[in-house]
Amino acid sequence: MSQTTIKTSGLTRSYGDICALKPIDLSVPEGEWLSVMGHSGSGKSTLMNLVGGLDRPSAGSLHVGGQDLSSLSEDGLARFRREYVGIIFQQHHLVPYLSALENVMLSQYFHSVPDEAEARHALERVGLGHRLQNRPGELSGGEQQRVCIARAIINSPKLLLGDEPTGNLDHKSTLMVMELLKELRAEERFTVVMVTHNEEVAAWGDRTIYLADGVLVREERTRP
Amino acid sequence: MLIRILKNSFLKRPKPVLLVLLSITMGAAVATAFLGIAGEVSHKMALELRSYGANILLEPTALEGGGFLREDDLPKIKTVFWKYNITGFTPYLFGVADLNAAGRRERSVVTGTWFSKELQVPGEESTEQGIKGMAPWWDLKGRWPEAADEAILGAALARRLKLDQGSEVAATVRGTVQRLKVCGVVTTGGFEEEQLFAPLVTVQQLLGQQGKVSRVLVSALTVPMDDFGRKDPSTMTKDEYEKWYCTAYVTSVAKNVEEVMSGSRAKPIWQIASAEGALLTKLNAVMLLLTLLALGASATAVSTSLMASMAERSPEIALMKAMGADRFQVSAIFLGEVLIISVVGGFVGYLIGNQLAALISHTVFNSSIASPLWLIPMAIGSAFLVACAGSIAPLRRALLIEPVRVLKG
Ligand SMILES: Nc1ncnc2c1ncn2[C@@H]1O[C@H](COP(=O)(O)OP(=O)(O)OP(=O)(O)O)[C@@H](O)[C@H]1O
Ligand SMILES: [Mg+2]
Repeated sequence: MSQTTIKTSGLTRSYGDICALKPIDLSVPEGEWLSVMGHSGSGKSTLMNLVGGLDRPSAGSLHVGGQDLSSLSEDGLARFRREYVGIIFQQHHLVPYLSALENVMLSQYFHSVPDEAEARHALERVGLGHRLQNRPGELSGGEQQRVCIARAIINSPKLLLGDEPTGNLDHKSTLMVMELLKELRAEERFTVVMVTHNEEVAAWGDRTIYLADGVLVREERTRP
Repeated sequence: MLIRILKNSFLKRPKPVLLVLLSITMGAAVATAFLGIAGEVSHKMALELRSYGANILLEPTALEGGGFLREDDLPKIKTVFWKYNITGFTPYLFGVADLNAAGRRERSVVTGTWFSKELQVPGEESTEQGIKGMAPWWDLKGRWPEAADEAILGAALARRLKLDQGSEVAATVRGTVQRLKVCGVVTTGGFEEEQLFAPLVTVQQLLGQQGKVSRVLVSALTVPMDDFGRKDPSTMTKDEYEKWYCTAYVTSVAKNVEEVMSGSRAKPIWQIASAEGALLTKLNAVMLLLTLLALGASATAVSTSLMASMAERSPEIALMKAMGADRFQVSAIFLGEVLIISVVGGFVGYLIGNQLAALISHTVFNSSIASPLWLIPMAIGSAFLVACAGSIAPLRRALLIEPVRVLKG
């Protein structure tokens, strides 16, 4: 846990006049589980997208996994995303015409080569061994989110990002997903950054930061 | 995996796929139909144009001193390399005779020629050669000469000599007299109206020039002259000469005929040959333009329907990008679909276009044609080009999709 996974200094993102993220200095050590909280519009997703290489900063420096993201080209960022990051969104974004298994394999395909046995194993780990051939429309919200988790971890990412992954789930499903993520992290030892509105969910992390209007206002260690 | 993606994408979203397929099929069908009948149309037009007169003139090399060509050589014209392109030829022997018709006298040109002579060349089907086939614009009152002592008169000459069908005229050359029965009067609008036309043998005897011919007019199907065709054959390399010889330029066909007629020089009749070439070139250009327009229209249709399905697919593309697909991988999925659709569309388009060409050819030319097989790769190739052209704008849009904006919660 000595190395840092994410290191930002003066990280800023503005849309025209709107400053979604005021200069932020943040350091996340390898293997940490960081929860991000804040009211709506406070810049949580903005931060998340920057760290995940989906968006580019307006100013400041941003290093993730030792790479300077602002120096990467479009395709360089794509490569960074597929090799280093696993992302889980609030809405279970799955390709509607592919089965659960194929959705997981798609991620392998972009990363390297699809391996059906490995993809099946990943779905078994998230408890969906019996729903491999179902399409997203045939799965419940919690099940879809678990497919997304299987897809996010399939290429053994060093960094797992979740933008309100449990936002659409009921209490029971939320607990199930969180339990699953905890188990997976114990095995895979990836770093987690998770946006949430839910104090209870945030408490699963090692540390919680609070954003307000694009400013890091407070941070709290939930675990030693 | 790519195949799995494409298969599912096709099976689960049949409507937009069918729409694109339809646009491509239409384009390929129209292109196939046009190109299929283009050859037919050019051929038919060229044949029609041949009725506007001969395009090659054969003369003796030594014009002064009464140079002549040999009648014996004539059948060889139907044995040359380009024999199937030669649609007809007519020999002429010219002389001047004193005509006497019931006391009215006049010095006039008498022309010995073939009217409609059956020509049998060993190993070939027998053909009819002569003026009748080569000058369909001659307006003949009466009938063509059949016997050796029959003749037709130019209208102006007939008027002066007060001759008509059934009358007789005597032609005298250096004491030799030939009595001729007039079986027709011809109006041509040209110098022929001042002449008397009789069978070649008859005029050869009258002039004392047995077996001789003054000139031969040849009508040949040719391809329009281009820059290469206009090059001087004597400056060509061996390969170039071979290529030139094996292309049916009016000059190479002329050269061909010249080689078998001893003591002859063959000249293209440029006023005919170049007008004809220009017309055929324009016709081909029009056909090509129509084909390109059809393909362009189909590319536009492809582009529109792909754009429409793009809007629906943008979350999916954004997702793929968020998962780390780079531009190449996104394009591969996109172009893979386009490739499959265009192969199918091109083939189906070929089948439809084939029927269309047969239908057009049947209704317009009353002839049946089968589109050549090389049109299949052509149809698929043009379908692919159309599809690619139609994909440029939608693909650009796909590559510009920002996952952050589309996937926002
Ligand atoms: N593409 C954009 N153009 C302009 N402004 C934007 C854009 N994206 C986000 N913003 C603005 O940036 C600010 C932060 O947005 P962000 O999505 O990070 O909020 P959030 O904390 O994730 O909110 P929520 O909890 O509702 O998801 C908001 O004020 C938002 O209006
Ligand atoms: Mg958000």
